[in-house]
Amino acid sequence: GGGQVATMPSTTVTSLGYTPPDGGWGWAVVFGSFLSIGFSYAFPKSLTIYFKEVQEYFSVSYSEIAWVSSIMLATMYAGGPVSSILVNRYGSRPVVMVGGLMVGVAMVAASFGTTIMHLYICVGVIGGLGLAFNLQPALTIIGKYFLVKRPMANGLAMAGSPVLLFTLAPLNQFLLDNFGWRGSFFILGAIVLNCCVAGALMRPITITAKPPANQSGGDDDGAVGKTDPQAVRLIDGKQRPERAGCLARVNKLIDLSLFKHRGYLIYLVGNVVMFFGFFAPVVFLAPYAKHQGTDEYSAACLLSIFALVDMVARPGTGLVSNTRWIRPRIQYFFSFSVAYNGACHLVCPLLPGYTGLVVYAVFFGLAFGMVCALLFEVLMDLVGAQRFSSAVGLATIIECGPVLLGPPISGKSCIILRFTSTQSSKVNNLIFHTTVHHLHFTTQRSLETCHANGCVLWTPSPLGALVDIFMDYKYMYFACGQEEHEKKREELPMGSARELATMEETKDSEQNIKLNQEKLTPQAKSSFIHVFKQDVYCTDVARMVLLAMTFWTTNISAIFLFSFIIWAYF
Amino acid sequence: SLHIIFINVQKIVCFDDYFTTSQHTGHVIVQELEILKPQKIELSCIISDIPNNPTHIIGYWKKNGNEIENSKQTVYKVDKQRFIFKRIFNIQVNDLGNYSCIFSYLDKQEQVTFLLKVPVMKDKRDKPIVSYVGDSVVLDCKIKRMPNTWQWYKSNGTEKVLINATADPMNYKILLEKNVTKLTVLNLTEEDAGKYICSAVFEIKSSESHVYLKVLSLIEPLKPFIGITIEVVILVTLILLYERYGRSRNDSSVDDSSGTDGRRTRQRNLVH
Repeated sequence: GGGQVATMPSTTVTSLGYTPPDGGWGWAVVFGSFLSIGFSYAFPKSLTIYFKEVQEYFSVSYSEIAWVSSIMLATMYAGGPVSSILVNRYGSRPVVMVGGLMVGVAMVAASFGTTIMHLYICVGVIGGLGLAFNLQPALTIIGKYFLVKRPMANGLAMAGSPVLLFTLAPLNQFLLDNFGWRGSFFILGAIVLNCCVAGALMRPITITAKPPANQSGGDDDGAVGKTDPQAVRLIDGKQRPERAGCLARVNKLIDLSLFKHRGYLIYLVGNVVMFFGFFAPVVFLAPYAKHQGTDEYSAACLLSIFALVDMVARPGTGLVSNTRWIRPRIQYFFSFSVAYNGACHLVCPLLPGYTGLVVYAVFFGLAFGMVCALLFEVLMDLVGAQRFSSAVGLATIIECGPVLLGPPISGKSCIILRFTSTQSSKVNNLIFHTTVHHLHFTTQRSLETCHANGCVLWTPSPLGALVDIFMDYKYMYFACGQEEHEKKREELPMGSARELATMEETKDSEQNIKLNQEKLTPQAKSSFIHVFKQDVYCTDVARMVLLAMTFWTTNISAIFLFSFIIWAYF
Repeated sequence: SLHIIFINVQKIVCFDDYFTTSQHTGHVIVQELEILKPQKIELSCIISDIPNNPTHIIGYWKKNGNEIENSKQTVYKVDKQRFIFKRIFNIQVNDLGNYSCIFSYLDKQEQVTFLLKVPVMKDKRDKPIVSYVGDSVVLDCKIKRMPNTWQWYKSNGTEKVLINATADPMNYKILLEKNVTKLTVLNLTEEDAGKYICSAVFEIKSSESHVYLKVLSLIEPLKPFIGITIEVVILVTLILLYERYGRSRNDSSVDDSSGTDGRRTRQRNLVH
């Protein structure tokens, strides 16, 4: 009840020690965060455009190339706490600038790489760490500059991810066409240095005034027990006495008492579980569309529509959640958006045809953007801007942990994603190219994690079982798409042409009669050797998988919603 | 109302040496046959459901648009519904091309075309592969049917020069697998740029595809790199200078907002 509320760590001004400016230079900081967050999320995804060429150059398999991306993502997540510690000590600006420099240097070093191991270390480890140094501080500094308009600022900053992805995808293709992969990595190293510009914008807040008199109790809340070094620094250089002791030292670096915070635990658990099914529909959208009979270009268009709506939905959600009706109830709004996500997917199989898929893509883009925009806002709201840096660092490393130990089921889901996008350099196809190829390469790995608008599908056991079923129908599924069908024909040994021919002869009369009723269609059929019946199995299995995804997501969202309600009221 | 339905069936003489795909585009029917070896092929067209149900029709064959001599035939009905019109062709190297069976009834003419050719490499790469001086590069070609062997040529203007990997192992490596071939060019120089032709050799004929190679010097990517780095340095300097200038102008910084903000936020606190 109400008693609990009073001792909850407050999100108010009191814990910060000052009133955030909520404007002015804050908008420049939002732009800086926009760039940093955008690079952090979009950069690993956009690198997948180079994978095919690098793979051919080093003569390695898909999964070995996918390791580059895995390592980059894993390091980006594992580096969260390190980043948080550094932000707690030094503030956002130096960390972001160092991060930007690290990624730049890493890419330049990678462009001279002679072995794939070289790439693992440069792009994977150093690059991932640099991106971690970009992500956390960018999120943290928004909490420092904004309070009243914080959801709006968060929404705008998170919009960086789809916008930069949209920009980087064609840019990377252009670089690849003109400079090859080595030159492209070299130039990308320079492009990524723009993170340093973003870091320069993140001016640390300095205040000289004492905490205002009309705030209750200064910063002595029982829950906020320890002195935060950054708060110390903020108050005009006056040093407060620091507590001695080992635990206090660790707590000085990163706030471990967060694990006692019930809301934070719910958030953590909910997050970890939600991401299992969160990104899956994006993975299956294009294959599902192709299975429905749309061509590759239209399927790519779907993903672009999704990305565009996402781009708009994020600031939109920020705006909406800033209103006075929603702001106080922002956790419910978040739960609602997760549930809305699930509901969207449930409706998807019911919508007919390509227009149905377009409608679905629009609504899903909206849902996705909503969740992503609110993801960190809710966290800030829960734990307060002061502890946010530690909170987000701990959250990312915990999300990373189970993934590193996860089962290699996701490798099987790559079967579903084996679409070889052609070399068209249109933007639509590039988004498709980027997302799906990244998914294709990375789902080969067992250790991927995905976050917010993440990159990868990790399928845990229940879904894995479905994927196993999928595997049995692998050849059936292959028979569905046109490309796959031709591949299947390749795989038939030469001698079996005889059997096929005899089958054809016996089928002649049947076909005559059947074709008599058929009208001449303008569309080309890929082959007249129909060994497998295309439609039956594919429909069922694809539908089954999609339904499972939606079921899973709704389940999780329901759990989320209930937990918040229970937490708030008891 | 449409009343003619065509069915193309090839009765094959040699089972292993051809593959077919068929397309129905509008009213024209085209069937592609990929021929690997010289052989005899029987092409047959089966027509049914002609209006007015004639007892016989007249048909003839065309090769590459020209009527084949003495190919005109009267075709009688096989059973109550169908006419079967067929002919055996002896396909050698020079016989690859377009064959059509044409027949007329009333004032109309209908035609089915068979395209006889070697397997083509469909996924041609239209963009050049880019590499750098001193680096190495891998060029590859894929084809659906397995050829007898592969050969690589470098094109110098109009002529083709065969690449012999065994004679020049320092510069070239050729990998031959069933349906794929890879040419590795080592120690690239600017002269190595140009058009490379891969040729899949079948018994009847070869099928070719080409790849363009561009060799750049190391300075090429350096220019945009330096440009962007300079831009970054300038922006960072400007931002930091602006900040210092702004700070030296007014020493005060974040000032207290009005109490209303605090009240509003405190209200929010209570709700939680």
